[in-house]
Amino acid sequence: MGTLYEDIVAYGGEVFGEEHMETLRECVQCGKCTGGCPSGRNTALRTRKLFQMALLDLREEIFNAPELWFCSTCFTCYERCPKGVKTTDIIRIIRNLAAKEGHMSVPHRMIGVYVLKTGHAVPIGPDQMKLREAVGLESQPPTTQKYKEQLEQVQKIFRTTNYDAMIDFDWDTMNLRGMEKGGKK
Amino acid sequence: MTDGDLGLTYAYFLGCITPNRYPGIEAATKRIFKEFGIETKEMVGASCCPAPGVFGSFDMHTWLPVAARNLSIAEEMELEIYVTCNGCYGSLQEADHLLKEHPKLKERTNKVLNEFGREYKGTTKVNHSIVILHDVIGLDKLKERITKPMNDVNVAVHYGCHFLKPREVRGHGSSETPYILEDLVKVTGAKEVEYKDKLMCCGAGGGNRTADTVQSLEWTRQKLVNALMAGCDCMVHPCAFCHLQLDRGQAEMNKAFGTNFNFPILFATQFLGLALGLSEKECGLDIQTTTMPEKLLK
Amino acid sequence: MINIETPRIGVYICHCGVNIAATVDVKEVARFASDMPCVVIARDYQYMCSDPGQELIKRDIKEHGLNRVVVASCSPRMHEPTFRNACEDAGVNPYCFEMANLREQCAWVHSDKDKATEKAKDLVASAIGKAALLEPLERKKVGVVPRALVIGGGVAGIYAALEIADKGFETYLVEKEPSIGGHMAQLDKTFPTLDCSACILTPKMVEAERHKNIQLLTYSEVKEVSGYIGNYKVKIRKRPRYVDEQKCTGCGECANACRLRGRIPNEFDAGMAMRSAIYVPFPQAVPLIYTVDAERCLYITKGKCGKYPACKEACPADAIDFELLEEEIEVEVGTIVVATGYELLDLAEKPEYGYKYDEVLTGLEFERLSVASGPTSGKIIINGKEPKEVVFISCIGSRSRKEDECEYCSRVCCMYIAKQAHLVREKIPDAKVKVLYNDVRAYGKGFEEFYNRARKEGVEYIRKELEDPVEVVKRKGEDEKVVIKTIIEGEKIEIEADLVVMANAIVPRKDADELAKILKITKSADGFFLEAHPKLRPLDTFTDGIFIAGCCQSPKDIPDSVAQGVGAAIRASIPLMRGEVEIEPLVASINEDVCVGCGTCEAICPFDALSLEEGVMHVKEVVCKGCGSCGSACPSGAISMKHFKDEQIYAQIEVML
Repeated sequence: MGTLYEDIVAYGGEVFGEEHMETLRECVQCGKCTGGCPSGRNTALRTRKLFQMALLDLREEIFNAPELWFCSTCFTCYERCPKGVKTTDIIRIIRNLAAKEGHMSVPHRMIGVYVLKTGHAVPIGPDQMKLREAVGLESQPPTTQKYKEQLEQVQKIFRTTNYDAMIDFDWDTMNLRGMEKGGKK
Repeated sequence: MTDGDLGLTYAYFLGCITPNRYPGIEAATKRIFKEFGIETKEMVGASCCPAPGVFGSFDMHTWLPVAARNLSIAEEMELEIYVTCNGCYGSLQEADHLLKEHPKLKERTNKVLNEFGREYKGTTKVNHSIVILHDVIGLDKLKERITKPMNDVNVAVHYGCHFLKPREVRGHGSSETPYILEDLVKVTGAKEVEYKDKLMCCGAGGGNRTADTVQSLEWTRQKLVNALMAGCDCMVHPCAFCHLQLDRGQAEMNKAFGTNFNFPILFATQFLGLALGLSEKECGLDIQTTTMPEKLLK
Repeated sequence: MINIETPRIGVYICHCGVNIAATVDVKEVARFASDMPCVVIARDYQYMCSDPGQELIKRDIKEHGLNRVVVASCSPRMHEPTFRNACEDAGVNPYCFEMANLREQCAWVHSDKDKATEKAKDLVASAIGKAALLEPLERKKVGVVPRALVIGGGVAGIYAALEIADKGFETYLVEKEPSIGGHMAQLDKTFPTLDCSACILTPKMVEAERHKNIQLLTYSEVKEVSGYIGNYKVKIRKRPRYVDEQKCTGCGECANACRLRGRIPNEFDAGMAMRSAIYVPFPQAVPLIYTVDAERCLYITKGKCGKYPACKEACPADAIDFELLEEEIEVEVGTIVVATGYELLDLAEKPEYGYKYDEVLTGLEFERLSVASGPTSGKIIINGKEPKEVVFISCIGSRSRKEDECEYCSRVCCMYIAKQAHLVREKIPDAKVKVLYNDVRAYGKGFEEFYNRARKEGVEYIRKELEDPVEVVKRKGEDEKVVIKTIIEGEKIEIEADLVVMANAIVPRKDADELAKILKITKSADGFFLEAHPKLRPLDTFTDGIFIAGCCQSPKDIPDSVAQGVGAAIRASIPLMRGEVEIEPLVASINEDVCVGCGTCEAICPFDALSLEEGVMHVKEVVCKGCGSCGSACPSGAISMKHFKDEQIYAQIEVML
């Protein structure tokens, strides 16, 4: 583990390329990101401050900041940054690093449960099948939720990348470990 | 209504919200495409895209192979993809872009897919349904078939985020002065109305809705108030996930804030569908939270 | 003097495009002027300063026999000489011209056209009133001593001296230190090209020493300057080196023998290396002559150095001579270039920056640490080891609103930080380098590119507000480090470092005040010498014949200092080449019948232009600037100012009343 900046470059670099991540250092703290941030009007998210904290290596402070999760990834700041800092991608990578260190809320982990169970973050139920019939569609779409062998491929990916372990998924109950059925604590 | 003159076939990547919550979007889109001779093939075994701001925020190395797997299904079908959700668009197009840009990443991703005999090759293309409407079918052909012009309707256009941004990946020109959705609204005879913070996010993306739903609804509330203040009759957009936030969100908002919003929300093909003569039922507009006024249905 | 000529005045109202005409009814003002007494002709015109505008004046002078001209246009600063020349060309004495300022003092500052027009009429009437009483004056010509003096032997001064000397004029180059070279000789590589500072400077130092027209006066100071442009008398104090300059060969045996060898901090190395009491500041010093530090030498201070001064015994050339005395050299020069350079803000007086710790250096000290010829042979070593965490802090004392600091930007720090950060990364590849900054001002050729390069190389730039306080403390214990405490975004931040480099402000030299008084030149509020015009006369002072170059005027980098040195030299060469100068006749004049010789004016004159001769005050017209101080101070009313006589000014007022 290096500094947060080094981790961002190393980890994010695997996906976006290191140069993409290194733009974080170009930040001149002008605040254009924060000024146009739709989240910032309603939440404590201050993208400029977040990046300053990242550059100052305030890892724990960032990972424990609830506002880290209030970015809607709208890319407004990404488009507007005068120094070409790849803002949204950097925020996503910071979140990745936070999640790897166990900073992940139960509702966020539950999305993983739905995908592991059905292949969908928003699965279909009997009521919705009726709605499909009402507009003249097949009651169930031909997706992973319908075909078990296809779903297993997605599950396999989650096992390979250890996503199941990251959210503490229990394959026996097909739920988060220690959770009642339905995911409510 | 049949016309096979375009003779094109696409693989429809459904995603989650479209087929599982708003089948009206799926129905209206398929019907319009068929009308203009575009055949839709189902992608058997497709999963969640998976959501770019959500899974992309948790683990890029899980997000990417799941997306690549979906792309590989279309590659096997030897078809280009179309989507009806900005999340699916964002996810699949970004994944396709990254895998094409970074060979090492492609190698690493295929290692995961190879375990169950799949491979991402980079031979498909991800299209958004509204781009097919605008660029493949074209405004002229659309205009010819308008049977129920929306002449006195004031429309608030909402883009969502991942259709336009980042523009270096999306390639639809300036993200601050877009035109595609505006053109599609205007072709029906409706008036596209400029309103405050038109390009603002609906509030749902990036796990924000999951992190704090009520907080995310506050963004939506602001967006809808801005459209109402500008005298709009309805909102037209290109994203199933925004649809969820904007439409079902109104019921949630009314409960959370004690308001009584009922502002009509239409996916682009639902709005165009009405203008092209489809019924409210055929567009699935009778099975969602917000109700359609006479003005749109006459 | 009685004005026997009947005034025939021509009045010209300038539109200045729309600058005046949009706010002032120029035709109405011209009509009004034409009704004034003595006015023969009054016109308005688009641009009076244009060639056709000037031709208009010349033609009217000839056709209407004008002997006074009034132009109502802009500030006289720019175009008074233009119109004076036009008058002179047509045969009217240039001092029979008067100018009214309808632009800056009327049109630009008012919006009500009717009221502005009324005010314009007043201003024009006032100028006409004075014009009627103007008297012809003659410009005096004086000869020029074909020699120049350059004060300061840094890079700006060296280039100025070489430039004048190359033109064929004898030049004195006076340097306070034992060697020329200035701060540039102390630097390592230079931004943004990374060429070695000493390598490019020392050939020029040697060239200056060898130039047949340059006389080097090192270890010397200007003590007194009198006279005026073309004829300055300069007294120079040459401190004794206690070494015969003719005999010394620069062999260094004396320094090796000195009993204080290695015990005196060498100023040239920013105190980071030790020298003897007899020394040269650095091996490439010019001239390469040893100097005895009279404040340290045991023989001089205590009267005893062992049995016999060790240096004297060691010197093979028998050059050491403790009997040498201070010399006063008097020279006469036509013009003077001042290039006395700068000092750095003294951090010892600012305990919050932790300058007392070995780990805290100034930017200049870092140069000595990094330069190959420096005390560590270019190895960056702090406390005996390579620093792995290095932090640069910009704007220390610059861009500050604190009373004891500087409001201006020191201009070179952003770039030398980028350069030094680069050098650290080059010499210690695994070092983490951070820069605490507010803005990066990379304004020059190749600067932005260099700054981007430093960032790309991995230098971390961390932005803080200027107001965010910086405090450096030392953390004791096993892993001894200094800790920078600051507040960023309202959060208390601590940054650990093995080495902190402070970019402390460039400040005027402490002796700048004294020199300004000696030269009778002015300083701006920041304490640097003031140029005559910030844009159009950047190298001139308000004292004719004295020019400024380099950092004594304001902080600047090497290319700018060189450009100014050369530029000031060219300005200073003009009178030398012409051989004579014209003196403005707008000077004080004494009514000898009224003067009682009280001396009040002599005491008050800032230019030493007055002297009592046989009980009556006399004006040295070539020295007098016509400032009027004497005139207002004279208790007897014996002094009047040519061109600004009391009756002329009263006439200006009366017409308006």
